[in-house]
Amino acid sequence: MTLGYCLALAFGLFAIGSYGVMTRRHIVGMLISVELMLNAANINFVAFAHFRPGDNTAGPIFTAFVIAVAACEMAVALAIVVSMFRRHKNLDIDNLRDLHG
Amino acid sequence: MIADIGFYIVALAILLGGIWAVTAKNILHAAMALIASFFGTAILYLMLSAEFIAIAQVLVYIGGVVIFVIFTILLTTRLGDKAEIAPGMRKLLALALSGVLLGTFLHALDRAGVLVGVKAPVADPNFASIRAVGLRFLDPGTNGFLVPFEIISLLLLISVIGAIVIARKEEV
Repeated sequence: MTLGYCLALAFGLFAIGSYGVMTRRHIVGMLISVELMLNAANINFVAFAHFRPGDNTAGPIFTAFVIAVAACEMAVALAIVVSMFRRHKNLDIDNLRDLHG
Repeated sequence: MIADIGFYIVALAILLGGIWAVTAKNILHAAMALIASFFGTAILYLMLSAEFIAIAQVLVYIGGVVIFVIFTILLTTRLGDKAEIAPGMRKLLALALSGVLLGTFLHALDRAGVLVGVKAPVADPNFASIRAVGLRFLDPGTNGFLVPFEIISLLLLISVIGAIVIARKEEV
C-alpha cells in the first residue's frame, strides 16, 4: 500500500463517478455519482495526509469539512428533487426543462 | 504484506461498489451499492489511520446521506420503475470520456513517480486520532480551525432550513 496505489484507487473512483454523471438520466442517480466523486477526493486528502510529511492533521480536517458540505448539498438537492417530482411526476432530466430559459 | 492484501480487497470492494452504483438498472440498487462503496472507504480510512474520518464516514454518509437518498427514492419512484439510463451512443461517449479522464490522471501519476513511491508513512500514527482532530478543530489560534468549524455549523443550519422551505407543500 503506497501513496500511488491510493491515488490510483481515488482516480478510478472519480472516473466511475464521472461516467455515472454522464450516463444517468435519473436525478437521484446523478447525485449518487456526484457523491462517489466527492468520496474519491476525500480518499486523496487522507492518503496525502498519511504518506506525506507536513501538516498531517489538516488533511483529515479538510475531509471532515468536505463531508459536512456534501451532507448540506444532499439535503438541499434532495429537497429540490422532491419538489420537482411534485410538479412534474417525473425525474428524467431530459424532461426537466425548467432552467432552459 | 497482510496490509497489502487487505488494501487490494478493500480497493476492489470500493471500485465494484462504485461501478454497480453507476450502472444498476434499479435506482434503489444503486443506493445499496453506494453503501458498499462507502463502507469500503471507511475501512480504507482506518487502514490509513484516520479513525475520526472513518467514523464520520459511517455516521454521516452511510447513516445519513444514503438513508436520505433511499427515502427520497421511495418517495418519488413507483415500484418497479427502471432508472433511465442513457441510450447506447451516449453511454459509449461517456465511457470514452471518463476513460480519457482516467488515462490523464494515471499518466500524471506515472510522471510523478518520485512523489508517489512513498512506502512507509512519514506521519505520526496518531495524526488523525479523535483527540488530535478535536484539539485542532477547537484551537482558536492561527493554526486551528475554530472559525471554519463554526461556519460549517451555520451552513448546516441554513441548508436544513432551505431544504424544509423548498420541499414543503406550496399551500401551507
